[in-house]
Amino acid sequence: MNQTSAARPLVSFDGVSKHYGSVVAVHTMNLEIYEGEFLALMGPSGCGKTTSLRMLAGLEEPSEGEIRLDGQRINEISSIERDTPMVWQSLALFPFLSVQKNVEFGLKMRAIAVEERRQRARKWLERMEILELAERDISQLSGGQRQRVALARSLVTEPRILLLDEPLTALDANLVVRMQGVLARLQKELGITFVYVTHSQSEAFAMSDRVVIMSQGRIEQIGSPKAIYRSPASRFVADFVGANNILSGSITETGEDLKISTAVGEFHCEKNSDRDFNTGDTLDLVISADLVQISMEGPEVQNSLRCRFISEEFVGSIVTIFAELEDGSDFKVQARQRDLANMALEEGAAFFASWNAADAHLIGGNGA
Amino acid sequence: MAPTENTHSVQDMRQRRQVTLYGLTWSMPIVVWQLIFFVFPLIFLFVISFWLVKNYRMVPGFDTINWIKMFSKGYFWDTYWRTLGYAGVATIVTSILAFPCAFALAFKVSPKVRRWALFFLIVPFFTSYLVRIYSWQIFLNDNGIFNTLFALVGLGPFQLLNNFFGTLVGYLTLCLPLVVVLQLISLANVDRTLIEAAHNLGCGRLRTVFQVIIPLAKIGIILGAVFTFILTFGDFVSPYYLGGSKPPTLSILIIDTTKSGQQWPRAAVVAIVMILTLLTIMFASVAAAYRKRT
Amino acid sequence: MSVRPGKSLLLRGYVVLVFIFVFTPILTSFVFSVNSDRFPTIPLGHFTTHWYETIFADPDVWDAFRISAIVSISVAVLATFIGFCTAYTDYRYNFTGKAFYLSLALLPPTIPLVIMGLAMLALLARINMSGEIYSIVVSHVVLCSPFAMAVIRMRLAQIDPDLESAAWNLGASNWRAMREVIVPFCRPAIASAFCLTAAVSFDEFAVAWFVSGLNKTVPVIILEILQGNTDPQINAIGSIVFITSMTLVILAQLILMRKTINQTATGI
Repeated sequence: MNQTSAARPLVSFDGVSKHYGSVVAVHTMNLEIYEGEFLALMGPSGCGKTTSLRMLAGLEEPSEGEIRLDGQRINEISSIERDTPMVWQSLALFPFLSVQKNVEFGLKMRAIAVEERRQRARKWLERMEILELAERDISQLSGGQRQRVALARSLVTEPRILLLDEPLTALDANLVVRMQGVLARLQKELGITFVYVTHSQSEAFAMSDRVVIMSQGRIEQIGSPKAIYRSPASRFVADFVGANNILSGSITETGEDLKISTAVGEFHCEKNSDRDFNTGDTLDLVISADLVQISMEGPEVQNSLRCRFISEEFVGSIVTIFAELEDGSDFKVQARQRDLANMALEEGAAFFASWNAADAHLIGGNGA
Repeated sequence: MAPTENTHSVQDMRQRRQVTLYGLTWSMPIVVWQLIFFVFPLIFLFVISFWLVKNYRMVPGFDTINWIKMFSKGYFWDTYWRTLGYAGVATIVTSILAFPCAFALAFKVSPKVRRWALFFLIVPFFTSYLVRIYSWQIFLNDNGIFNTLFALVGLGPFQLLNNFFGTLVGYLTLCLPLVVVLQLISLANVDRTLIEAAHNLGCGRLRTVFQVIIPLAKIGIILGAVFTFILTFGDFVSPYYLGGSKPPTLSILIIDTTKSGQQWPRAAVVAIVMILTLLTIMFASVAAAYRKRT
Repeated sequence: MSVRPGKSLLLRGYVVLVFIFVFTPILTSFVFSVNSDRFPTIPLGHFTTHWYETIFADPDVWDAFRISAIVSISVAVLATFIGFCTAYTDYRYNFTGKAFYLSLALLPPTIPLVIMGLAMLALLARINMSGEIYSIVVSHVVLCSPFAMAVIRMRLAQIDPDLESAAWNLGASNWRAMREVIVPFCRPAIASAFCLTAAVSFDEFAVAWFVSGLNKTVPVIILEILQGNTDPQINAIGSIVFITSMTLVILAQLILMRKTINQTATGI
C-alpha cells in the first residue's frame, strides 16, 4: 500500500496542536496519510484521536499548525466545503428521513438533480446490499443495516477519503467481525483512503495498513500492525498493545549479546537495533506473552524466571496465565491449552518461564 | 473522558470566537421581545412609582411620596402580611393534600393508569379558571348545593363563601393538579432499588417515606410549593370571587387602586414590593432545592 | 412493592377524592350550561339550550370569539417562533451570561398576571398602544414563549448532537442544516407548542382584561359577567372555551404521540 509514499501524501498534519483553554487535546502532531491506505488512529479514550479526526473533517479548527489536503492548506476551509465525509460513532443517521433520502442527502446539498441523485443513491444501496431497504425508516433497521446506510451516505459523493469515528462500537461482537470484513474489502475495492479512529486493538490490527498509536495528545508510534505488535517503540505502546511483559533494568555487559540486570535476575538479549548500547544504560525489556515457554523444572536455560501461578483465563484453545514474580510484579504467559495438559498448575504453584534471547524487545534508555 | 472529546464544547469554542449572523438570528428574538415587552414595562412600572397623580392624570416626576405613603399605612402592611400568610397556608395545605395522591399514583398504580392520571391532571390547565371559580360559587354559597345537602341531614347552613375557606378552595382549584403533577414526576423518578434497599435494611414503610422517598423527591416537592406560592400570592380571582374581596390581598389592592382610585403610582409600589418578595422566595427555595446535592 | 390491601384502598379512595375535587367544577359547568334555572342549585331544572341560544344571539360574544381567535393564533405563531429560536440557542450555544439569558426567557410566568397587566397597560397607554388587539398579542407572547421554548427544548434534548455536524459534513451550510435537519426533527414539538400556546392565550384573562380596552376576548367577557350577577351564560361560554382548548391540547398531544408511537412501534 505504501508504494505511493515517496509521492505527495493525500493528507498531512504539520505541527498541529489543539488546545481547549489550558487543556491540550493534540500536541504538535506530524502525520502523513497516503492515497489509498487504511490508517487507524488508536489510543485510549481522551488521547486526541477523535479530535484529530474532527480537525481533518473541519469540525474543529487547529490551534496551531497546518493541515493539508492534497497539498492545499485546509485550516480555514469550513467543514461544508471539504469533501471529507465521516461515519459517526452514533452513525448520526437522520431519523426523519427514509434510507434512500439519507443516502441522497450529500448529493442534495451539492444541488444534484433529483433523478441523478436517486440513481446514485440506489447504486450505493445496491453495493452495500441494502437496496431492498431503500424506503424504510431508519428506526426499522438493525444495527448492521444502519452501518451500511451510514457508509453509503458517506460514500455516495465519491470522496477520496473517508473518516470513520469508532463506527462499530454499538455492534455485537460477532457483527463487529463481519463489518470489519466489509470495511476492509470495501476499502481495497474503492482504493480510497480510510482514516479509522478506534480504541480497539483488534479492529485496528485486523483492517489497517498502518496504525498510529496516540496517548495524551501525542503520537507514540506509527507503523504496520506487525511492527507495532512486535517492536513497540515506547513503554506506553508496549503496555497498551498486546499482552506484553515489561522488565526494567540496566545493561551490565555489551558483548555479542547484551546482558541486562533487572530486579528479578539477569537476562541475555540480542541487539535488535543499530544503535549503540553502553554499559549502565537503563532500558525496558519487553517480552511478549506468547513468546514465553514454561516448564516445571529448574532454571537450567538462559533467560529463565521463577514465577508463582495466580490464575488462568481461557479464550478458545489459548490460555493466558497470570503469575507473580519474586519481587511481586505481574507476569503473563500465553500458551496453547494442550501444551499445559500435563502440568500441575494450581494457585501458588511455582513454575519457570523462559524465552529466546532474540525474542525480547528493547525499548527506551540508551543512558543519554 | 477528557473535555476535549465533548462534541458540544467544540461547537461552543467555534461560536464563541465570532458572532455570526446565524447565531444572532436565533438568539436575538427573545432578547428583543422580552426587553421591550417584559423588562421595559417592569422598569417603567418602577419609574411611575415615583410619579404623582394630579386631576386623575399621572405627572412624570420624582417623588418618594408614594413609597412613604404606602409604607406608613397600617392597611398596606396588614394586607401584605395577610397575602403572605394566605399564600403560605395555601402552599402548605396544597403540598400536604397533593402528596398522598402523587405518592399513590407514583407507586401504587400501573404505568398505564399513571399516564391517564397525568393526562387528566393536565386537563384543568386548559379549562377556564374563571368558570371553575364560578362553579364553586354555585356549590359554596349560602343557598348553594353544599348547604342544600347539609340541610337535608339537618345541618348548617355553614358559611362557606366569602371567607378564607372559600379562598382556599379557589387556591386548591388553581394549584392542586399542578402540584400533584410535579410531585408525581419527581416521585416516579425515584430509584426503586433505593426504596427496596431501605426496606431491606429494616426501615419501616412510613419511615421510608419520610427518610428516603421525600428527600429523593425533594426537588419536585419544593418546585410544586414554589409554584403554589407564586400563583396564590399573585392570584386575585379566588380571594375576590370566593373570598369576598374583603379584607383584600395585594392583587386586589392593585386592582382597586388602579381601577377605582386611578392611583397608578401607588399600585406600582405594591407591584414592586410583590415582585421583590416573590424573587426572594424563589431564590431561597431554589437554593434549598439544590443544596447538598452532588 | 407489596401492600396491605386496607391501606392501599384508603390511598386509592383518596386519589379518587382528589380527582372528584378537580373535576367537580368542570363538570358542574357543563351540567348547568344546559339547566333551565337561572339560580343554579339542586334539584336541577329541566334541560334547555336557552343559554347557548342567548350567547349565540349576542354579537358581543361573537365578537369576543373572533378577537380571541385572532389573538390566540397570532400569539401561537409568534411565541412558537420565538420559543424555537430560544430553545435552539440554548441547545447549540454556550456563552457568558447564558444563565441571565435563560432567566430573561423563562421568568415571565413567575410574575403575577395582575402585575404584568398593570405594567403592560401603564406602558402601552403611555405610547398610545393600549386597547388594541395587538396590545393583547404582544403581552401574551411574553407569557407564552417560555412554554413554547420548554416544549421544543425537550425535543432538542433528544437529538443526537452529531446529527447537525453530520449535515455540515455532508455539505450543508448552517442555514441548510437548520432547514433540513433541526426543523424536521423538531416538527412535532413545533406543532405541539403551537397548540399549547394558542390554548394558553385563549384562556388568559388578567392581562387581557387590563390591556384589551374595548377589544374584549372571551375570558374577559366571562370575567365581566362574573363581576355582575349570577348568569348561567357563563357556563355556556365556559363549555365552549373548554371544548376549544381541549381540542387544541389533545391535538398537540396526538401530534407528539403519533411521532413517538411511530418510532417505537416500528423500532422493534
